[in-house]
Amino acid sequence: MTVLVQPADALAGARPRAAPVIDIRGVVKRFGASTVLERCSLSVQEGEILTLLGPSGCGKTTLLRCIAGFLTPDDGAILIDGRDTAPVPVNRRPVGVVFQNYALFPHLTVAGNVGYGLRMRGLPRPEIIRRVAASLATVSLTGFEGRYPSQLSGGQQQRVAVARVLVLEPRVLLLDEPFSALDAKLRASMQLDLRALIKRLHITAIFVTHDQEEALTLSDRIALMRAGRIEQHGTPEEIYDRPASVYVADFIGTSNFWDGNAAEGAVTFPDGQAVPTALSGAVRVLVRPHNIDLAPAGTGRSGWTGIVRSRRYVGALLEYEIEAEAGATLRAVSLKDEAGAALASGDRVVLRLRSPAACTVFSQP
Amino acid sequence: MTAQPFKRALIDDLLSGRGIWPAVPAIVVLLVVAVIPFAVLLSLGFSEIVASRGVIVSQELSLAPLKAALADPLYHTTFGRSITLALTTTLLCMILGFPVAYLYLVGNGWVRRIILVLTIAPILTSGIVRTYAWIVILGGRGVVNTALMDLGLISQPLRIINTPWAVIIGMVQIHLPIMILPLIAVMSRHDRRLDEASANLGASRLDTLRHVILPLSVPGLGTGAALVFALSYTTFVVPQLLGGGNYLNAATMIYEQVVYALEWNKGAVSAIILMSSCLVVLVVIAGLAHLGSAWTRASRT
Repeated sequence: MTVLVQPADALAGARPRAAPVIDIRGVVKRFGASTVLERCSLSVQEGEILTLLGPSGCGKTTLLRCIAGFLTPDDGAILIDGRDTAPVPVNRRPVGVVFQNYALFPHLTVAGNVGYGLRMRGLPRPEIIRRVAASLATVSLTGFEGRYPSQLSGGQQQRVAVARVLVLEPRVLLLDEPFSALDAKLRASMQLDLRALIKRLHITAIFVTHDQEEALTLSDRIALMRAGRIEQHGTPEEIYDRPASVYVADFIGTSNFWDGNAAEGAVTFPDGQAVPTALSGAVRVLVRPHNIDLAPAGTGRSGWTGIVRSRRYVGALLEYEIEAEAGATLRAVSLKDEAGAALASGDRVVLRLRSPAACTVFSQP
Repeated sequence: MTAQPFKRALIDDLLSGRGIWPAVPAIVVLLVVAVIPFAVLLSLGFSEIVASRGVIVSQELSLAPLKAALADPLYHTTFGRSITLALTTTLLCMILGFPVAYLYLVGNGWVRRIILVLTIAPILTSGIVRTYAWIVILGGRGVVNTALMDLGLISQPLRIINTPWAVIIGMVQIHLPIMILPLIAVMSRHDRRLDEASANLGASRLDTLRHVILPLSVPGLGTGAALVFALSYTTFVVPQLLGGGNYLNAATMIYEQVVYALEWNKGAVSAIILMSSCLVVLVVIAGLAHLGSAWTRASRT
């Protein structure tokens, strides 16, 4: 089993914490014989953007649907502003949902969609018109009032879906894979736009996604889920730099794993350096690609020798695949203009950890 | 284009079943059983005919029979009765059919299967059989009257059979599946996430039904209404059997004119009026459905 080397909440204690807007306490959800959520606990602070990240089937959408009230948890409680939501029906929750396919009403115009919630609240017509116009302005869709959803692009539909819930000023915004229907280029710009909008309006938001890059871009905090449990909950930096388990390390970013034996507070990496750890016995060491320093062999540097198998340009970075001694394959990245960046496929190299302390050590599963 | 490749293409199409060739048998059948009789009907309707024992002696083009029919008070009451009956049937089928379709929408797999079976099973039974079943149910010593008398609610049988009420009950039962099926087709395509979005935006179940599900069902309601109206406006069996022979609607009138009175001329005129008035109502229904589903005409830009 995996062991928490550095608890994710080690830093959290130092941060001043107000009462959370959302407090999820031990939520359990079963569908027939299968348990989809197993005692999930999580809290989201005012104005914070949290991402529920995980592969499909991990329960992230189920948790979102429990918060929205579309599903009722079998056990546990979901509190919004300290109040239990269990007795609150779905249409009375202060929660706005942006659906994966946006779920815009095809028979209503943009104005009809955005004004729908206000109409349900029985607001007078002039006020509905005024607030719809204001909401459309925040998502830069002024002038689109009379269009039907089928006449909009995917990006425009997403903005209508966002305006439709924001116009009601919800306490919490829930977004279920809101970018999955958009093409890659549009997705990147929409992610930044949406994050900026949510931050500007100081809304508390929960995103659901299976895309780790999206999670790293959007979130203040990430809750990584696995098989109905929250595997780790922390800031993107915490999750990336100090993953709580091999699973988390593998899910977020590119990872190199090396298996070794630890004793007396350290494990000796093949380059001769000692990686500190409190564990002993069989361990698995996580080395991020940017923690590997490459130098051509024969320059007198000591380290772990290997051969460059392939080289790939990733914008300003070069990504190498190295076959090291003893058959291990590692990925390393370096800036294009760094010394040693001129390595070519087939070159013999010497690997060294830039910082042994930046490695994370897990006991072997 | 030269003649030779064209001819080869034609033979090619013929052999491979491309182009219009696969439709040719159907076109021939339609021509024989629909277009030619329709032409005969039109020629009979727009002519002054002298007949003897059902055999036409002389025929000349004239609008006089049509004009006479349109001025005849009997036609007014008969067609008025037909239209009223058909519109009432259509409206009742809509009112009774929509909740069934809604139940189909919100129901699970079993509910859906049961609704489908209950909707389709009656269609598999002949309309005449079902109509006779209503005679058994609604008759003087039928199920309804026996039950009511046994319960002591009435002392003597109610007269239901051979009244307009019996006709309406039978009409609605016969035509209800025709309304439900297009509605179910719409419901099975309905995206339940729209209902969730509606609830999330503060709508009650009734609000969602009224503002999301009902408007999105308009195309299905339109199709169902058109079908039910066309069938119930021209129906013959139910009014004849449940109305006790004294319930005269357009179809029963045409039957009497042609079969008993051998007045082919009058029958043809009645049929022409029936068809054209049916067409007018169908156009109105289609127009209403069209107006009620403006979003379906919005195209992607």
